[in-house]
Amino acid sequence: MRRRNRTALAAGLALAASLLTSSLFGGCASLGVQPWERDLLAQRSMRLDGDPVTAALDEHIYFSKEASTGGAGFGGGGCGCN
Amino acid sequence: MAATSRTYRSIRGALSAACALTGIGGVATSHATEVETAILGYTEPNRVSALETVLQARHDFGSGRLANFKVVYDALTGASASGAVPGAAVQTFTRPSGRGSYTTAPGETPLDDTFRDARVAVSGGATLPLGRLSTISAGLYGSGEHDYTSLGANASFSRDFDRRNRTLSAGVSFSQDTVTPEGGRPIPFASMTPVGPDQPRLAGDGSKDVADAMLGLVQVIDRATLVQFTYSLSRVTGYQTDPYKLVSVVDPTTGAPVDQIFEHRPDARTKHILFGRVKRQLPHGALDLSYRFMTDDWGIASHTVELRDRVALGGGGKYLQPHMRYYSQSAADFYARWLLDGAALPDHATADYRLGEFHAWTFGLEHGRDLGRDHRLTARVEYYRQVGDGHPAGAPGALANYDLFPVVDAWIFQVGYSFGS
Repeated sequence: MRRRNRTALAAGLALAASLLTSSLFGGCASLGVQPWERDLLAQRSMRLDGDPVTAALDEHIYFSKEASTGGAGFGGGGCGCN
Repeated sequence: MAATSRTYRSIRGALSAACALTGIGGVATSHATEVETAILGYTEPNRVSALETVLQARHDFGSGRLANFKVVYDALTGASASGAVPGAAVQTFTRPSGRGSYTTAPGETPLDDTFRDARVAVSGGATLPLGRLSTISAGLYGSGEHDYTSLGANASFSRDFDRRNRTLSAGVSFSQDTVTPEGGRPIPFASMTPVGPDQPRLAGDGSKDVADAMLGLVQVIDRATLVQFTYSLSRVTGYQTDPYKLVSVVDPTTGAPVDQIFEHRPDARTKHILFGRVKRQLPHGALDLSYRFMTDDWGIASHTVELRDRVALGGGGKYLQPHMRYYSQSAADFYARWLLDGAALPDHATADYRLGEFHAWTFGLEHGRDLGRDHRLTARVEYYRQVGDGHPAGAPGALANYDLFPVVDAWIFQVGYSFGS
Protein backbone atom coordinates (compact mmCIF):
# COMPACT_ATOMS: atom_id res chain seq x y z
CA MET A 1 0.00 0.00 0.00
CA ARG A 2 2.76 2.33 1.02
CA ARG A 3 4.73 1.48 -2.09
CA ARG A 4 1.65 2.18 -4.24
CA ASN A 5 1.19 5.55 -2.58
CA ARG A 6 4.80 6.37 -3.25
CA THR A 7 4.48 5.33 -6.88
CA ALA A 8 1.36 7.46 -7.25
CA LEU A 9 3.13 10.40 -5.64
CA ALA A 10 6.10 10.00 -7.97
CA ALA A 11 3.81 9.77 -11.01
CA GLY A 12 1.92 12.86 -9.84
CA LEU A 13 5.12 14.81 -9.34
CA ALA A 14 6.42 13.76 -12.76
CA LEU A 15 3.14 14.81 -14.38
CA ALA A 16 3.15 18.14 -12.55
CA ALA A 17 6.77 18.73 -13.53
CA SER A 18 6.12 17.93 -17.19
CA LEU A 19 3.04 20.16 -17.26
CA LEU A 20 4.97 22.95 -15.59
CA THR A 21 7.89 22.57 -17.96
CA SER A 22 5.74 22.43 -21.08
CA SER A 23 3.61 25.37 -20.00
CA LEU A 24 6.64 27.36 -18.95
CA PHE A 25 8.96 26.67 -21.82
CA GLY A 26 7.12 24.80 -24.53
CA GLY A 27 3.67 26.21 -24.77
CA CYS A 28 4.63 29.84 -24.77
CA ALA A 29 5.82 30.87 -28.19
CA SER A 30 6.81 34.33 -26.98
CA LEU A 31 9.35 33.00 -24.47
CA GLY A 32 12.91 34.01 -25.19
CA VAL A 33 14.37 36.71 -27.39
CA GLN A 34 15.81 37.15 -30.86
CA PRO A 35 19.60 37.47 -31.16
CA TRP A 36 19.30 41.24 -31.73
CA GLU A 37 17.35 41.65 -28.49
CA ARG A 38 20.15 40.65 -26.15
CA ASP A 39 21.39 44.11 -25.25
CA LEU A 40 20.18 43.98 -21.66
CA LEU A 41 20.97 40.30 -21.13
CA ALA A 42 24.49 40.98 -22.37
CA GLN A 43 25.27 43.39 -19.58
CA ARG A 44 27.74 42.23 -16.99
CA SER A 45 25.22 42.56 -14.17
CA MET A 46 23.06 39.89 -15.86
CA ARG A 47 25.77 37.25 -16.06
CA LEU A 48 24.99 34.22 -13.93
CA ASP A 49 28.68 33.88 -13.14
CA GLY A 50 29.18 37.62 -12.91
CA ASP A 51 31.01 37.60 -9.60
CA PRO A 52 32.54 34.15 -9.10
CA VAL A 53 35.16 35.24 -6.56
CA THR A 54 32.61 36.75 -4.18
CA ALA A 55 30.27 33.78 -4.71
CA ALA A 56 33.05 31.35 -3.78
CA LEU A 57 34.07 33.39 -0.73
CA ASP A 58 30.46 33.52 0.48
CA GLU A 59 30.08 29.81 -0.11
CA HIS A 60 33.18 29.23 1.98
CA ILE A 61 31.86 31.31 4.87
CA TYR A 62 28.43 29.72 4.90
CA PHE A 63 29.92 26.26 4.55
CA SER A 64 31.85 26.78 7.77
CA LYS A 65 28.81 28.11 9.68
CA GLU A 66 25.85 26.13 8.34
CA ALA A 67 24.88 22.58 7.39
CA SER A 68 23.95 23.35 3.77
CA THR A 69 26.23 24.04 0.85
CA GLY A 70 26.12 24.20 -2.91
CA GLY A 71 23.08 24.03 -5.11
CA ALA A 72 23.56 27.18 -7.12
CA GLY A 73 25.51 25.38 -9.79
CA PHE A 74 26.49 28.29 -11.95
CA GLY A 75 27.20 30.64 -9.11
CA GLY A 76 27.53 28.78 -5.85
CA GLY A 77 29.56 25.66 -5.77
CA GLY A 78 29.46 22.92 -3.26
CA CYS A 79 31.40 21.16 -0.65
CA GLY A 80 30.45 17.82 0.76
CA CYS A 81 32.41 18.26 3.96
CA ASN A 82 31.18 18.93 7.43
CA MET B 1 39.89 21.36 10.77
CA ALA B 2 36.22 21.65 11.68
CA ALA B 3 35.59 25.27 10.93
CA THR B 4 38.37 25.34 8.45
CA SER B 5 37.88 22.11 6.56
CA ARG B 6 36.45 23.57 3.47
CA THR B 7 37.24 22.04 0.20
CA TYR B 8 36.43 23.81 -2.97
CA ARG B 9 36.00 20.96 -5.31
CA SER B 10 32.80 21.79 -7.01
CA ILE B 11 31.44 21.72 -10.44
CA ARG B 12 30.88 25.41 -10.20
CA GLY B 13 33.98 26.35 -12.09
CA ALA B 14 33.33 24.05 -14.98
CA LEU B 15 29.67 24.93 -15.18
CA SER B 16 30.22 28.65 -14.89
CA ALA B 17 32.73 28.53 -17.69
CA ALA B 18 30.22 26.60 -19.78
CA CYS B 19 27.56 29.17 -18.98
CA ALA B 20 29.74 32.10 -19.88
CA LEU B 21 30.37 30.51 -23.22
CA THR B 22 26.73 30.43 -24.14
CA GLY B 23 24.66 33.38 -25.07
CA ILE B 24 22.58 33.09 -21.95
CA GLY B 25 23.43 35.32 -19.07
CA GLY B 26 25.71 37.55 -21.02
CA VAL B 27 27.74 37.65 -24.16
CA ALA B 28 30.90 35.59 -24.30
CA THR B 29 34.03 37.63 -24.61
CA SER B 30 36.70 36.53 -27.05
CA HIS B 31 40.51 36.18 -26.97
CA ALA B 32 40.77 38.04 -23.69
CA THR B 33 42.18 37.47 -20.24
CA GLU B 34 40.29 38.43 -17.13
CA VAL B 35 41.99 38.47 -13.74
CA GLU B 36 40.12 38.89 -10.49
CA THR B 37 41.67 39.33 -7.08
CA ALA B 38 40.10 39.80 -3.68
CA ILE B 39 41.04 39.99 -0.05
CA LEU B 40 38.47 39.22 2.58
CA GLY B 41 38.50 39.71 6.32
CA TYR B 42 36.11 37.77 8.52
CA THR B 43 35.71 38.31 12.22
CA GLU B 44 33.43 36.97 14.93
CA PRO B 45 34.01 39.12 18.01
CA ASN B 46 35.70 36.96 20.69
CA ARG B 47 35.74 33.96 18.38
CA VAL B 48 37.20 33.21 14.97
CA SER B 49 39.03 35.62 12.68
CA ALA B 50 40.07 34.78 9.15
CA LEU B 51 41.87 36.41 6.27
CA GLU B 52 41.37 35.07 2.79
CA THR B 53 43.02 36.04 -0.50
CA VAL B 54 41.98 34.93 -3.97
CA LEU B 55 43.53 35.18 -7.41
CA GLN B 56 41.51 33.94 -10.34
CA ALA B 57 42.37 34.17 -14.00
CA ARG B 58 40.43 33.17 -17.06
CA HIS B 59 41.61 33.24 -20.62
CA ASP B 60 39.44 33.06 -23.70
CA PHE B 61 41.38 31.53 -26.58
CA GLY B 62 38.58 32.28 -29.01
CA SER B 63 36.30 29.83 -30.79
CA GLY B 64 34.71 28.90 -27.50
CA ARG B 65 37.86 27.61 -25.86
CA LEU B 66 38.36 28.78 -22.28
CA ALA B 67 40.80 28.03 -19.48
CA ASN B 68 40.67 29.11 -15.88
CA PHE B 69 42.96 28.98 -12.90
CA LYS B 70 42.45 29.92 -9.29
CA VAL B 71 44.54 29.98 -6.14
CA VAL B 72 43.24 30.72 -2.65
CA TYR B 73 45.19 31.25 0.53
CA ASP B 74 43.55 31.76 3.88
CA ALA B 75 44.62 31.94 7.48
CA LEU B 76 42.36 31.41 10.45
CA THR B 77 42.78 31.88 14.15
CA GLY B 78 40.64 32.13 17.23
CA ALA B 79 38.12 30.14 19.21
CA SER B 80 35.16 27.96 18.32
CA ALA B 81 32.42 26.41 20.46
CA SER B 82 33.54 22.91 21.41
CA GLY B 83 30.01 21.59 21.92
CA ALA B 84 30.35 21.24 25.69
CA VAL B 85 27.74 22.96 27.90
CA PRO B 86 28.42 25.70 30.46
CA GLY B 87 28.80 24.67 34.09
CA ALA B 88 28.52 26.26 37.53
CA ALA B 89 32.22 25.66 38.19
CA VAL B 90 35.37 26.42 36.23
CA GLN B 91 35.77 23.72 33.59
CA THR B 92 39.10 22.48 32.25
CA PHE B 93 39.36 20.97 28.78
CA THR B 94 42.28 19.13 27.23
CA ARG B 95 43.43 20.59 23.95
CA PRO B 96 42.82 18.38 20.90
CA SER B 97 46.53 17.56 20.64
CA GLY B 98 46.46 16.15 24.16
CA ARG B 99 49.14 18.63 25.16
CA GLY B 100 47.95 21.43 27.39
CA SER B 101 44.52 22.58 28.43
CA TYR B 102 42.20 25.58 28.50
CA THR B 103 39.64 26.64 31.07
CA THR B 104 36.13 28.05 30.86
CA ALA B 105 34.65 30.37 33.47
CA PRO B 106 31.39 29.43 35.25
CA GLY B 107 28.35 29.99 33.05
CA GLU B 108 30.46 30.59 29.95
CA THR B 109 30.16 28.62 26.71
CA PRO B 110 33.28 26.45 26.36
CA LEU B 111 35.32 27.76 23.43
CA ASP B 112 38.24 25.78 22.07
CA ASP B 113 40.81 28.48 21.42
CA THR B 114 43.22 26.17 19.61
CA PHE B 115 42.31 27.12 16.07
CA ARG B 116 45.22 28.35 14.05
CA ASP B 117 45.39 27.17 10.52
CA ALA B 118 46.38 28.10 7.00
CA ARG B 119 45.07 26.62 3.79
CA VAL B 120 46.10 26.73 0.17
CA ALA B 121 43.68 25.70 -2.56
CA VAL B 122 44.45 25.48 -6.26
CA SER B 123 42.03 24.71 -9.05
CA GLY B 124 41.99 24.86 -12.81
CA GLY B 125 39.81 23.86 -15.66
CA ALA B 126 39.08 24.13 -19.35
CA THR B 127 36.03 24.43 -21.58
CA LEU B 128 35.86 23.28 -25.16
CA PRO B 129 33.13 23.60 -27.77
CA LEU B 130 31.44 20.47 -29.00
CA GLY B 131 29.78 21.43 -32.21
CA ARG B 132 27.97 24.74 -32.55
CA LEU B 133 25.66 24.49 -29.53
CA SER B 134 27.40 22.33 -26.94
CA THR B 135 30.36 22.61 -24.63
CA ILE B 136 32.24 20.29 -22.35
CA SER B 137 34.19 21.41 -19.31
CA ALA B 138 36.52 19.66 -16.94
CA GLY B 139 38.52 20.74 -13.92
CA LEU B 140 40.82 19.64 -11.14
CA TYR B 141 41.02 20.80 -7.56
CA GLY B 142 43.41 20.37 -4.65
CA SER B 143 43.73 21.93 -1.23
CA GLY B 144 45.81 21.39 1.84
CA GLU B 145 46.01 22.52 5.43
CA HIS B 146 47.99 20.97 8.24
CA ASP B 147 45.28 18.48 9.20
CA TYR B 148 43.21 18.24 6.02
CA THR B 149 43.73 17.57 2.33
CA SER B 150 41.26 17.35 -0.52
CA LEU B 151 41.67 16.30 -4.14
CA GLY B 152 38.86 16.47 -6.65
CA ALA B 153 37.86 16.45 -10.30
CA ASN B 154 34.75 17.55 -12.14
CA ALA B 155 33.22 17.45 -15.61
CA SER B 156 30.13 18.91 -17.18
CA PHE B 157 28.25 19.09 -20.45
CA SER B 158 26.09 21.97 -21.62
CA ARG B 159 23.85 22.44 -24.67
CA ASP B 160 21.88 25.40 -25.97
CA PHE B 161 18.40 25.19 -27.44
CA ASP B 162 15.82 27.49 -28.97
CA ARG B 163 18.04 30.26 -30.42
CA ARG B 164 20.23 29.97 -27.31
CA ASN B 165 17.32 30.96 -25.13
CA ARG B 166 17.55 27.72 -23.17
CA THR B 167 20.61 25.93 -21.83
CA LEU B 168 20.58 22.48 -20.28
CA SER B 169 23.59 21.32 -18.30
CA ALA B 170 24.68 18.20 -16.50
CA GLY B 171 27.74 17.84 -14.34
CA VAL B 172 29.45 15.44 -11.98
CA SER B 173 32.27 15.85 -9.50
CA PHE B 174 34.19 13.59 -7.20
CA SER B 175 36.62 14.31 -4.42
CA GLN B 176 38.51 12.47 -1.77
CA ASP B 177 39.29 14.17 1.52
CA THR B 178 41.70 13.05 4.21
CA VAL B 179 41.70 14.31 7.76
CA THR B 180 44.70 13.89 10.04
CA PRO B 181 43.62 15.58 13.28
CA GLU B 182 45.92 17.00 15.90
CA GLY B 183 46.78 14.10 18.18
CA GLY B 184 44.88 11.59 16.02
CA ARG B 185 41.20 10.69 15.70
CA PRO B 186 39.46 10.21 19.05
CA ILE B 187 37.41 7.06 19.58
CA PRO B 188 33.73 8.06 19.23
CA PHE B 189 32.05 8.61 22.59
CA ALA B 190 35.34 8.12 24.45
CA SER B 191 35.72 10.36 27.49
CA MET B 192 38.06 13.31 27.13
CA THR B 193 41.10 12.43 29.24
CA PRO B 194 42.87 15.03 31.37
CA VAL B 195 46.29 16.26 30.29
CA GLY B 196 48.83 13.52 30.90
CA PRO B 197 47.42 10.12 30.00
CA ASP B 198 47.11 9.39 26.29
CA GLN B 199 43.68 9.93 24.76
CA PRO B 200 42.53 6.64 23.19
CA ARG B 201 42.62 7.06 19.42
CA LEU B 202 41.41 5.35 16.27
CA ALA B 203 44.10 3.93 14.01
CA GLY B 204 45.03 5.75 10.82
CA ASP B 205 43.68 8.84 9.11
CA GLY B 206 40.06 9.57 8.36
CA SER B 207 38.98 9.77 4.76
CA LYS B 208 35.77 10.38 2.93
CA ASP B 209 34.54 10.35 -0.65
CA VAL B 210 32.23 13.03 -2.00
CA ALA B 211 30.28 12.42 -5.21
CA ASP B 212 28.03 15.13 -6.64
CA ALA B 213 25.75 15.21 -9.65
CA MET B 214 23.87 18.23 -10.96
CA LEU B 215 21.28 19.04 -13.61
CA GLY B 216 20.75 22.63 -14.62
CA LEU B 217 18.40 24.69 -16.77
CA VAL B 218 18.74 28.33 -17.73
CA GLN B 219 15.89 29.97 -19.64
CA VAL B 220 15.63 33.44 -21.10
CA ILE B 221 12.13 34.70 -20.38
CA ASP B 222 12.22 38.05 -22.13
CA ARG B 223 14.62 40.82 -23.07
CA ALA B 224 15.32 41.64 -19.42
CA THR B 225 14.67 38.40 -17.52
CA LEU B 226 16.23 34.98 -17.18
CA VAL B 227 15.65 32.12 -14.76
CA GLN B 228 17.80 29.27 -13.57
CA PHE B 229 16.89 25.95 -11.94
CA THR B 230 19.25 23.29 -10.68
CA TYR B 231 18.92 20.00 -8.91
CA SER B 232 21.93 18.58 -7.10
CA LEU B 233 22.50 15.22 -5.52
CA SER B 234 25.41 14.77 -3.17
CA ARG B 235 26.61 11.58 -1.55
CA VAL B 236 29.28 11.64 1.14
CA THR B 237 30.72 8.43 2.56
CA GLY B 238 33.46 7.98 5.11
CA TYR B 239 34.68 9.78 8.19
CA GLN B 240 32.43 12.81 8.85
CA THR B 241 32.81 13.12 12.59
CA ASP B 242 34.41 16.35 13.78
CA PRO B 243 37.36 15.06 15.80
CA TYR B 244 37.51 18.28 17.86
CA LYS B 245 33.90 18.42 19.04
CA LEU B 246 32.58 17.23 22.40
CA VAL B 247 29.20 16.36 23.87
CA SER B 248 28.63 16.94 27.59
CA VAL B 249 27.15 14.18 29.70
CA VAL B 250 25.21 15.89 32.50
CA ASP B 251 23.59 14.90 35.77
CA PRO B 252 19.85 14.40 35.04
CA THR B 253 18.87 16.33 38.17
CA THR B 254 21.41 19.11 38.64
CA GLY B 255 22.45 19.52 35.00
CA ALA B 256 26.09 19.62 36.06
CA PRO B 257 28.55 18.15 33.53
CA VAL B 258 29.92 14.83 34.77
CA ASP B 259 31.78 13.80 31.62
CA GLN B 260 32.87 15.16 28.24
CA ILE B 261 32.80 12.66 25.40
CA PHE B 262 33.83 12.95 21.77
CA GLU B 263 31.03 13.21 19.23
CA HIS B 264 30.12 10.61 16.64
CA ARG B 265 28.40 11.21 13.27
CA PRO B 266 27.09 8.72 10.71
CA ASP B 267 29.53 7.74 7.98
CA ALA B 268 27.12 8.33 5.09
CA ARG B 269 25.08 11.35 4.07
CA THR B 270 22.89 11.96 1.02
CA LYS B 271 21.76 15.48 0.19
CA HIS B 272 19.19 16.74 -2.30
CA ILE B 273 19.27 20.39 -3.26
CA LEU B 274 16.78 22.34 -5.35
CA PHE B 275 17.77 25.81 -6.43
CA GLY B 276 15.86 28.47 -8.33
CA ARG B 277 16.94 31.93 -9.36
CA VAL B 278 15.61 34.83 -11.35
CA LYS B 279 17.63 37.76 -12.70
CA ARG B 280 15.89 40.80 -14.08
CA GLN B 281 17.21 44.01 -15.52
CA LEU B 282 15.25 46.99 -14.22
CA PRO B 283 15.47 50.70 -15.01
CA HIS B 284 17.61 51.32 -11.91
CA GLY B 285 19.86 48.28 -12.29
CA ALA B 286 19.59 44.52 -11.89
CA LEU B 287 17.73 42.32 -9.44
CA ASP B 288 18.94 38.83 -8.44
CA LEU B 289 16.59 36.70 -6.34
CA SER B 290 17.21 33.06 -5.43
CA TYR B 291 15.80 30.30 -3.27
CA ARG B 292 17.43 27.04 -2.22
CA PHE B 293 15.92 24.03 -0.50
CA MET B 294 18.15 21.33 0.93
CA THR B 295 17.16 18.08 2.59
CA ASP B 296 19.32 15.17 3.67
CA ASP B 297 19.09 11.81 5.37
CA TRP B 298 20.56 13.24 8.55
CA GLY B 299 17.19 14.89 9.12
CA ILE B 300 18.31 18.39 8.19
CA ALA B 301 16.14 20.57 5.95
CA SER B 302 17.07 24.12 5.10
CA HIS B 303 15.69 27.12 3.25
CA THR B 304 17.81 29.93 1.86
CA VAL B 305 16.45 33.11 0.29
CA GLU B 306 18.90 35.62 -1.14
CA LEU B 307 18.38 38.98 -2.79
CA ARG B 308 20.84 41.31 -4.49
CA ASP B 309 19.66 44.56 -5.98
CA ARG B 310 22.30 46.34 -8.06
CA VAL B 311 21.58 50.06 -8.34
CA ALA B 312 23.51 51.86 -11.06
CA LEU B 313 24.95 55.23 -10.03
CA GLY B 314 25.40 57.18 -13.21
CA GLY B 315 28.46 56.53 -15.38
CA GLY B 316 31.82 54.98 -14.68
CA GLY B 317 30.30 51.60 -13.90
CA LYS B 318 29.46 52.81 -10.42
CA TYR B 319 26.88 50.88 -8.49
CA LEU B 320 25.60 50.17 -5.00
CA GLN B 321 24.36 46.68 -4.30
CA PRO B 322 22.37 45.93 -1.15
CA HIS B 323 22.38 42.25 -0.23
CA MET B 324 20.02 40.35 2.02
CA ARG B 325 20.05 36.66 2.87
CA TYR B 326 17.83 34.59 5.13
CA TYR B 327 18.70 31.04 6.09
CA SER B 328 16.98 28.53 8.36
CA GLN B 329 17.70 24.91 9.10
CA SER B 330 16.25 22.13 11.22
CA ALA B 331 18.49 20.05 13.46
CA ALA B 332 20.13 16.77 12.54
CA ASP B 333 18.33 13.75 14.03
CA PHE B 334 21.35 12.99 16.17
CA TYR B 335 21.90 16.56 17.41
CA ALA B 336 21.91 16.57 21.20
CA ARG B 337 22.89 19.66 23.17
CA TRP B 338 23.64 17.32 26.10
CA LEU B 339 23.39 13.64 27.01
CA LEU B 340 22.02 12.42 30.34
CA ASP B 341 24.24 10.49 32.70
CA GLY B 342 22.99 6.94 33.21
CA ALA B 343 21.01 6.83 29.96
CA ALA B 344 22.01 4.53 27.12
CA LEU B 345 24.20 6.18 24.48
CA PRO B 346 22.54 6.79 21.11
CA ASP B 347 24.11 5.45 17.91
CA HIS B 348 25.32 8.95 17.00
CA ALA B 349 25.42 12.31 18.72
CA THR B 350 26.78 15.78 18.12
CA ALA B 351 26.42 19.07 19.96
CA ASP B 352 27.95 21.05 17.10
CA TYR B 353 25.70 24.11 16.81
CA ARG B 354 26.09 24.02 13.03
CA LEU B 355 24.00 20.84 13.00
CA GLY B 356 21.39 22.31 15.36
CA GLU B 357 18.25 24.25 14.58
CA PHE B 358 18.77 27.95 13.90
CA HIS B 359 18.16 30.76 11.50
CA ALA B 360 20.51 33.41 10.21
CA TRP B 361 20.38 36.81 8.52
CA THR B 362 22.95 38.52 6.37
CA PHE B 363 22.80 42.19 5.46
CA GLY B 364 25.41 43.65 3.19
CA LEU B 365 26.29 46.51 0.89
CA GLU B 366 28.69 46.45 -2.04
CA HIS B 367 30.08 49.30 -4.05
CA GLY B 368 31.76 48.92 -7.40
CA ARG B 369 33.27 51.27 -9.94
CA ASP B 370 35.40 51.18 -13.06
CA LEU B 371 38.99 52.39 -12.82
CA GLY B 372 39.63 53.24 -16.40
CA ARG B 373 39.12 50.85 -19.25
CA ASP B 374 38.66 47.22 -18.14
CA HIS B 375 39.76 47.83 -14.55
CA ARG B 376 37.24 47.45 -11.78
CA LEU B 377 37.26 47.96 -8.01
CA THR B 378 34.71 46.62 -5.57
CA ALA B 379 34.32 46.86 -1.81
CA ARG B 380 31.71 45.35 0.43
CA VAL B 381 30.80 44.98 4.07
CA GLU B 382 28.41 42.39 5.42
CA TYR B 383 26.93 41.51 8.79
CA TYR B 384 25.92 37.95 9.62
CA ARG B 385 23.84 36.96 12.65
CA GLN B 386 22.97 33.40 13.61
CA VAL B 387 20.29 32.76 16.23
CA GLY B 388 19.21 29.46 17.81
CA ASP B 389 17.20 28.39 20.83
CA GLY B 390 19.38 29.23 23.83
CA HIS B 391 16.93 27.73 26.31
CA PRO B 392 15.69 24.44 24.85
CA ALA B 393 12.91 22.59 26.61
CA GLY B 394 13.88 19.89 29.04
CA ALA B 395 17.20 21.37 30.10
CA PRO B 396 17.91 19.71 33.47
CA GLY B 397 18.82 21.65 36.60
CA ALA B 398 21.22 24.54 36.20
CA LEU B 399 21.39 24.13 32.42
CA ALA B 400 18.04 25.91 32.21
CA ASN B 401 19.78 29.06 33.48
CA TYR B 402 22.44 29.18 30.77
CA ASP B 403 22.34 30.36 27.19
CA LEU B 404 22.95 27.08 25.37
CA PHE B 405 22.99 28.62 21.87
CA PRO B 406 24.76 31.98 22.06
CA VAL B 407 24.16 34.28 19.12
CA VAL B 408 26.95 34.19 16.55
CA ASP B 409 27.78 37.58 15.04
CA ALA B 410 30.20 38.04 12.20
CA TRP B 411 31.50 40.94 10.12
CA ILE B 412 32.83 40.49 6.63
CA PHE B 413 34.97 43.02 4.76
CA GLN B 414 36.11 42.52 1.19
CA VAL B 415 38.00 44.49 -1.42
CA GLY B 416 38.24 43.20 -4.95
CA TYR B 417 40.21 44.35 -7.97
CA SER B 418 39.86 42.93 -11.44
CA PHE B 419 41.14 43.76 -14.87
CA GLY B 420 40.69 42.47 -18.36
CA SER B 421 37.48 41.79 -20.17
